Amino acid sequence: MMARETDDERAERRLVHRAFERLTGRDGAPLQYALMDDTPVGVLGLAAGPAGLRRLEYVEGEDDFLRHLLAEFPDRPLERSAALDAVRRELDRYFAGRRFTFDTRVDLSDVTPFQQRVLRETAKVPAGKVTTYTEVATRAGRPHAARAAGNALHDNPIAIIVPCHRVLRGDGSLGGYAGGLPAKEWLLKHEGALLI
Amino acid sequence: MTAHHRATASDAIAILLAKHGLELARHLRRLVRDDDVAADLLQDTFLKAHGALGGLRPGSNERAWLYRIATNAALNHLRSRTREAAALARHARDADVAAPAWLDADGAGGGPHETDPRHAAVWARVAGLPERQKVALTLRVSGQCDYGEIARRMGGTEAAARANVHQAIKRLRKEFR
Repeated sequence: MMARETDDERAERRLVHRAFERLTGRDGAPLQYALMDDTPVGVLGLAAGPAGLRRLEYVEGEDDFLRHLLAEFPDRPLERSAALDAVRRELDRYFAGRRFTFDTRVDLSDVTPFQQRVLRETAKVPAGKVTTYTEVATRAGRPHAARAAGNALHDNPIAIIVPCHRVLRGDGSLGGYAGGLPAKEWLLKHEGALLI
Repeated sequence: MTAHHRATASDAIAILLAKHGLELARHLRRLVRDDDVAADLLQDTFLKAHGALGGLRPGSNERAWLYRIATNAALNHLRSRTREAAALARHARDADVAAPAWLDADGAGGGPHETDPRHAAVWARVAGLPERQKVALTLRVSGQCDYGEIARRMGGTEAAARANVHQAIKRLRKEFR
């Protein structure tokens, strides 16, 4: 995920990590982050570690996103990074309607095994199609756990790329969405799944 | 307020570091050319910034403010490291501008002693110079850089570096006449 870095860049990062360790006690492996400020669905925050993308969430702004990451990753230094440019380009293509699939590697190690199964089943639903909470719960091995599946989707750490917006209620109503219902509706229309 | 949302002191520093750390590390490494010194200065910069956060008006430029703190930390380091006054006198001559007599006091053997009040007086004036003149002059005098090196560290051309140093010396000379 990292582009090749120069000696200077490596030295600069080392200095920042030392400052993090000395001033904040954060001595873990750094987490890289980036923002997308003006997407059709608002501001998005992205965060990644060496194993792939760990967060793609709706945020109010940079400080808001950073506070969130600091609380969730108590020992990690955070660094704003161009390493996430490839993901941002994929998202740009998605929002422009040129391509609806993603090659970005995602890291779902923050969620429970059931949540992981729900999210992996959700990831199989292609753009332009929708499914239901019950259907996803069934495919994840717990047909009676529609509500739990809904919660798993609400806590989806990687919005849009893991397309939880493609999961609706059994009666065809939108259900909920962490980014707000207008965002869910926009995404579905954009993918051609909702006709109005 | 939950623990989740409570911004601790270290969170405030972490946010500044996350947003501006890499850029300021680059700036400091260029100015002082020593990783250990740059590491100390970077930590000083963010500690100082955090201590002064309350003084930063909302909407003012956080990044420019951090740059100023870092630049001043680097310049303080550079000038405490050398015998500035003597060097200033030498470079005033290099710059083909007659130095005030007192700058020449002890010649090349060493400038006024640290305790000499003139020492503080010069640098008090330097601190009031426009930013780029101040940085260029300090690099020239205390950092012992040639103009090409100053240009590389500050970003810009050699001619601009030379002009900044000359302007700075001219101005000091006028003030000490």
